[in-house]
Amino acid sequence: MRIISDSLSDTEVSKQKGDKTMKKSNQLNRREFLAAAGATAVSMPYLIPSAVLAGRGRAGANERITTAHIGVGGRGGGLLREIKKFREAGVVNIAAVCDIDKSRLARAVEEAGPGTEPYHDYRYILERKDIDAVVIGTPDHWHGVQMVHAAECGKHIYIEKPACCTIEEGKAMVAAGRKNKVAVQVGSQGRSQPEAYLAHRYLVNGNIGHIDRVDCFHYPSPEDNNPVPDSDPPPELDWDMWLGPLRWRPYNKRYCHGTFRWLLESGGGQIRDRGAHVMSCAMWWMGADGTGPVTVEATGTPPTKGLWDSAVLMDVTYTFRNPDWVLTWRQMPNDQLPPAEERTGKEPGGKISRPGYGAIYRGDKGQFIHWGGDGGTWAEKKAREWKLPAGARDVYESPGHMEDWFKGIKTGAKTIMNIEAAVGVANLCVLGNLSYILGRKLQWDQAGQTIVGDEQAQRMMSRPQRHPYHL
Amino acid sequence: MAQMASTAQAQGVEELIAGIRDSSDKVRTEAWLNAGKAGAPAVKPLAKVMTDNDLEVARAAKRALWKIVRHTGRPGANKERRAVETELAALLGKDQPVSVRREVIWMLSEIGARNSIKPIAGLLRNKDLREDARMALERIPTKRAVTVLKSAFEKAPEDFKPNIAQSLRKRGEEVAGYPCQKLVPKEKS
Repeated sequence: MRIISDSLSDTEVSKQKGDKTMKKSNQLNRREFLAAAGATAVSMPYLIPSAVLAGRGRAGANERITTAHIGVGGRGGGLLREIKKFREAGVVNIAAVCDIDKSRLARAVEEAGPGTEPYHDYRYILERKDIDAVVIGTPDHWHGVQMVHAAECGKHIYIEKPACCTIEEGKAMVAAGRKNKVAVQVGSQGRSQPEAYLAHRYLVNGNIGHIDRVDCFHYPSPEDNNPVPDSDPPPELDWDMWLGPLRWRPYNKRYCHGTFRWLLESGGGQIRDRGAHVMSCAMWWMGADGTGPVTVEATGTPPTKGLWDSAVLMDVTYTFRNPDWVLTWRQMPNDQLPPAEERTGKEPGGKISRPGYGAIYRGDKGQFIHWGGDGGTWAEKKAREWKLPAGARDVYESPGHMEDWFKGIKTGAKTIMNIEAAVGVANLCVLGNLSYILGRKLQWDQAGQTIVGDEQAQRMMSRPQRHPYHL
Repeated sequence: MAQMASTAQAQGVEELIAGIRDSSDKVRTEAWLNAGKAGAPAVKPLAKVMTDNDLEVARAAKRALWKIVRHTGRPGANKERRAVETELAALLGKDQPVSVRREVIWMLSEIGARNSIKPIAGLLRNKDLREDARMALERIPTKRAVTVLKSAFEKAPEDFKPNIAQSLRKRGEEVAGYPCQKLVPKEKS
């Protein structure tokens, strides 16, 4: 690995990187950008990407993976900070950051440090041959399109959950991942937590007997208590690109960064946010990846005012057959949530900092409860203290969610939250919302990946996308 | 008998509109949540309220109309669905504000069939609404929708042809001369 000093000019670095796309008119000159944004440059070494030293394809075992980050505010910013730790450990280079909000982009450039190029349009990143992998932290409505585009351009992908907003997007994502043979990790990182491993092996070894019901619980979605009229977007924001594939609508302060979560068309509410975590654990631990329900039935309570329209309280029942079991998702009043276990803080996952969601697994010999299910996953004491007897079944222990992805990139091994599994989980969330919106029970054909006997619901399995932001 | 039913229906619509216009959040929410069964007779009165100056009242009217669309789209309700479709299609004319027409286009994308295609196709010439109209036609699963898109493609201005080409490819048609633009970055930074 060669190290190039930041004292080289941008042009020299660009030449050494062998990157002809660097001179595109759209590309922002890093120093000019930082100066304009008022950011302070810090001198740091730049490491030549693996694809420049070796040929395109899988990075060698000892080569750095060159990443680019698409969407760097909110959760995307968190992912950037996480990846930085792997750069310090010699695992990755961070070559580019991209955001359609100039303020967020400026912060990300400063965060990432020298050697990282800023972009406004992610498609310039996909054109760069020196980038091995992309980390996508955009709002949900961009996930399907950007994942498919990145796969078609041969990039390995880490993408935030939920995988998709529609059944059609999910199908396209699975197809693109398979066809282009890229390693995809979806950000339902609960599967990779230390206590998730303990819970998993506890359950699959029959400690609570045959499990025929999993009840997920979550506190309510918020209501918009400060609704405002539509207005012009702020100057730093490219509203057209923020909307991307969604139908056009005027900007509203209550429908953008962060708050998009509470609108059904974009964020899908708690069920598509935390459901993609808690139900991910359920599908993994129940050995149900690759399967799906036969019926989905949802009811809920909408907000009484404001722009947000995702259910405040919600009850969804998924019925599975062969094997028969029931999965439920319930957003309930806070006073109905199960109490969190008291802990010392010395447990593998430390103290429970998110007691407001999790799931209860009901078997014929007892029950088991976990809290969280995302970056924090906490298993009940009996699972943590259980020792694996000789001859008992062990399960895969993830080295960490990012590490598992890097392993997938370098070896071709299937990732723990691969795109097939992630779409299966996201489909649960999507179908739950569809049943809620339509006010009726849906029949689902898992093999055909389609809703049965309901033409309107079938049309809603896809959502036409604005030109040119489409799958 | 028919007259009595019609009077009862009219009273039901009046009550619905009164609920939608109520100053209480709870009353408005209750009204739109129960709007589904009001059906076709409530479509035009609700559309009028969708542009009310009070944002919450306007929003409640829009949600009530969507409830009607979702209710009448249920399996086995074809007659109701067609009646609502006819009322919605009548709202696509120039006498309605763009915001109402845009919402109605998307409603028809879920339940529209033969009767909606011509009025939606007419909006492919409207600069404000043509993209929504294109997407709705892409979603309506009839051959007639594809035929209309093909015809519109021939007559469309150059700046809109790639959009229609996208819909035609989505519906399994081959389109020459207008390659897919999805991976082409924007000119402007």
